[in-house]
Parts: sequence; structure tokens; C-alpha cells
Amino acid sequence: MASETVENCSSHNPLLDFDSLDSSSGVKSDEYLELQFRVFRLAFLLTIFSVGIAGFFWGIQAGASLFVGALSGIFYFRLLARGVERLGTSSKIVGKVQLLVPVLLVLVSSRFPQLDLIPALLGFLLYKPALIIQFLSMP
Amino acid sequence: MDSITTAASVVAAGLAVGLGAIGPGIGQGSAAQGAVEGIARQPEAEGKIRGTLLLSFAFMESLTIYGLVVALVLLFANPFAG
Repeated sequence: MASETVENCSSHNPLLDFDSLDSSSGVKSDEYLELQFRVFRLAFLLTIFSVGIAGFFWGIQAGASLFVGALSGIFYFRLLARGVERLGTSSKIVGKVQLLVPVLLVLVSSRFPQLDLIPALLGFLLYKPALIIQFLSMP
Repeated sequence: MDSITTAASVVAAGLAVGLGAIGPGIGQGSAAQGAVEGIARQPEAEGKIRGTLLLSFAFMESLTIYGLVVALVLLFANPFAG
């Protein structure tokens, strides 16, 4: 009896039509994936450009540190994007796991003499120009 | 590193993370609330809302990261260590 009532309600009221809600609000919507892809592509381009410049002017060690930092930044952004993707569906809060990435980066670059701390941190922040460019290019 | 510098560095590291996380925490909570409400009202605009939320989160969380980096530098690569 109760299930019939629910079925009747959902067939008449579009707000309670869970099938149409699922199809229209798929978690991995194309627009969101496209945005992530554009930011990743911009961040990779900026990484290649800055690693080249740093390696040319300040040596291979600075370039390698910048590269490791940039990869960490992209990984951090991927974790953040996954947290936002889960928000409202399988999780009620955005996880803080991604904050471990800069912690590990600082720890690794302070432990290993092959990596410099400042270029690694600057490389980690390379995802931000990509975000700013993306934000400015949004309609 | 003498004991006063060590103590000051540890206290400063704690303050940098603690105080630096308050503002972004409040902001992220309110942004997430607005986004979830918006998605519930307009499921067809979910992609746009999630994209904007992601960019806002990245900008907000960078403030926390700045505090975190300052704290980690003070703890593990202290420039004031003699």
C-alpha cells in the first residue's frame, strides 16, 4: 500500500521521480569532467614550460624539484576534485586527505638533499595559475 | 637551535595552522551548503555548480596550505635555526 502511494506520487510529481533525477544529475557530469580536463591540461603545459625555464636558468636540481612539486600539485587538485565529486552523493563533507600532499612534499624535500624546498613549493603552486586562467575564461 | 627558538617555532607553527584553517573552514562549509542546495534545486545545472565549487574550494584551501607550509618550514627547515 505504502509502495503504491510512493509510486503514484513519483509518477505524477517530477521532483519525486528518482529515475529522471539520476539521469539528469549523474555524478560525473560531462561539464565537470571537461573543466577538470582543461585545468589538468593547462597545469601540465605550465609545468612543462616552467620546468624548462627553471632547468635552463637554475640547473637540473631546481628543475627536478619544480617538476616533483608540480606533479604533487596536480595530484592534490585531482584529490580535491574527487572530494567535490563525492560531495552530496556518497559523502556529506569534502575530505581533507588532499592536505597530506603538501605535507609529504615538504617532508620529502627536507629529507632528500636532491630536492630543494623552495622550487618544490613553487612547483606545487603551479596549479593555481591554471585555475586562475580557467576561472577568467569561464563565461 | 636554542630552546627559546624551538619553543617559539613550535608555538608559531601551531598558530599558523590553527588560525589559518578557521577562515577557509567556515568558507568551505558555507560554499558546500550553497552548492548542495543549488544542486538539489536545479539538478540539470550540477556540472556547472560542481565546477564552480571545485574552483572556489581550490582557492579557499590554498589559504590553509599557506599556513601549513609555513608551519612545516618552521618545524622541518627552520631558517632561524643557528
